[in-house]
Amino acid sequence: MAVATALDTGQAQFVFRPETTRLMAKGTWNAFLGIMVVVFIWWFVAEAMMFLRGVPFPTPPETMSAFWQAIMGADVHGESIFAHANASLQRWGQGYLIALVLGLALGLAFGTMPRLHDVGMISVYVFQMIPGLAWIPIAMLIFGLGETATVFIIVMTAIPPLVINTAGGIREVPAVYTRVARMSGKDDSALFMKVLLPAASLSIINGMRIGLANGWRVLIAAEMVVGVALGLGFSIYQSRYSLDFTASFVSIMAICIIGLTIEKLLFVSMENRVRNRLGLDRED
Amino acid sequence: MLASLRNVSKVFTDPRNGRGLVALNGIDLDVKEGEFLCLIGSSGCGKSTTLNLLAGFESPTRGDVLFKGKKVIGPSPERGVVFQEPSLYPWMSVLQNVMFSVQEKNGRESLAMEYLKMVGLDGFANSRPSDLSGGMKQRVAIARALAMGPDLLLMDEPFGSLDEQTRRKLDNDVLRLWKEGSKTVVFVTHNIDEALMLGTRVVLMSASPGRIEREWVLDADWPRDLSSPSMMSLREEIIGMLQACACANGAAPVQLLTIGD
Ligand SMILES: Nc1ncnc2c1ncn2[C@@H]1O[C@H](COP(=O)(O)OP(=O)(O)O)[C@@H](O)[C@H]1O
Ligand SMILES: [Mg+2]
Repeated sequence: MAVATALDTGQAQFVFRPETTRLMAKGTWNAFLGIMVVVFIWWFVAEAMMFLRGVPFPTPPETMSAFWQAIMGADVHGESIFAHANASLQRWGQGYLIALVLGLALGLAFGTMPRLHDVGMISVYVFQMIPGLAWIPIAMLIFGLGETATVFIIVMTAIPPLVINTAGGIREVPAVYTRVARMSGKDDSALFMKVLLPAASLSIINGMRIGLANGWRVLIAAEMVVGVALGLGFSIYQSRYSLDFTASFVSIMAICIIGLTIEKLLFVSMENRVRNRLGLDRED
Repeated sequence: MLASLRNVSKVFTDPRNGRGLVALNGIDLDVKEGEFLCLIGSSGCGKSTTLNLLAGFESPTRGDVLFKGKKVIGPSPERGVVFQEPSLYPWMSVLQNVMFSVQEKNGRESLAMEYLKMVGLDGFANSRPSDLSGGMKQRVAIARALAMGPDLLLMDEPFGSLDEQTRRKLDNDVLRLWKEGSKTVVFVTHNIDEALMLGTRVVLMSASPGRIEREWVLDADWPRDLSSPSMMSLREEIIGMLQACACANGAAPVQLLTIGD
């Protein structure tokens, strides 16, 4: 509409109506379609499995209503969904915090010291290759069964992307940025704080985001070794014994929702703010 | 002598394929106080390397780089550089970029503002570099280099990526700043007309390995008329030499006919 008007009246510039802009900018419609595709695939598989194998595969409506009941306080494998989610969030929060401190420190050190990078990166790549489940025996051997083992697994899977992206971001800072600081008489700490850190910040945030997602996803594996009967991951496993598959689907849904919310709300807005601050959104 | 290269050679080694490249071999070059020295030559002949050595970003494999009689051991605010590639920090405003290089402890903002005024961009102090055109960015880069209070201004094809008209305008700005500030400038370009328009001396380099081929002293006053007979013949001479060097190095001469624009 606005386009046609602009062309017909010969304007050089125009703005869309706010509603249109919002729709275009947020891609609300596409997101809705995307969710519909997920639900459709799920439903199709559920019906197919019930027909072909005669198993009680939870369908989307069943799961939704169970999810709603769980929100209203119904038990999911012995505890409320909030208690499970709370336990998981705490483990993950602890693990991620430790990973953040260690990963950023290592990443910054590797990024600024090439020799350390070449030697140390090998172990980071090796750690990164170890799948979440494979950490279970290692965690058990070091910490035995319990919370510490769970947190350890989260830490180990969240650290590699933090180190890789932080170190990579700093190493990829254009040489000319460093040269400008050097010829302006800046010392190491000014170079680091005023140039390297801002220039690498997007990459660092990216590492934080991947680390966060890694840690959240590995919760399921990590809660296999947890001693207490609490946690979203634990609740998913529990269906192997309870055969209450709907309950584990509710837990899977809770994991997806919490993970997506944290990633989209927290990180997307953080990244946009940093992009803006850095003047990188209009980079040429 | 403000700065000099004494029998300087620079070799770059590539540990991945075990090759060495002699970028400069036995260069002698003196930069005199107050001169406007233009370095020309086809690409890859070591112009940037020479400038980086003077700046202190690179150290010579052999020979000495001297500045005010002392060996250059690293970059310093005494030698300001304007780079060809975008070098402003995108996360700082135009003013902050200039302030970053002001050496004085007090009154940095007003000093930075003065340098912005010199390049006619005080009205854009609070803009982001990404909001400026290519030519404006390079003017800010010049203001920043001047803000360091350098005795030597090193410029590496600063306007190489700009359109002809903008380049001419900025050339005149540089000329004016050079005259007003009685600075010493080393200006790298591959554009012969630009060198003839600006330089008090033009030094021609040639490649493989990089060396100094010849130099010309220009004493014509500004603004210069490049269509005057003496300038025309000088231009022909330089183009001739450029082609001769390039052919000796196996490059096609046609390629180089475009160098003078
Ligand atoms: N850091 C570097 N590592 C390896 N080779 C380099 C490096 N810098 C320049 N060279 C090589 O040295 C030669 C001279 O380069 P340069 O001084 O940039 O030439 P120009 O500025 O005249 O185009 C080129 O062959 C280039 O590939
Ligand atoms: Mg160059």
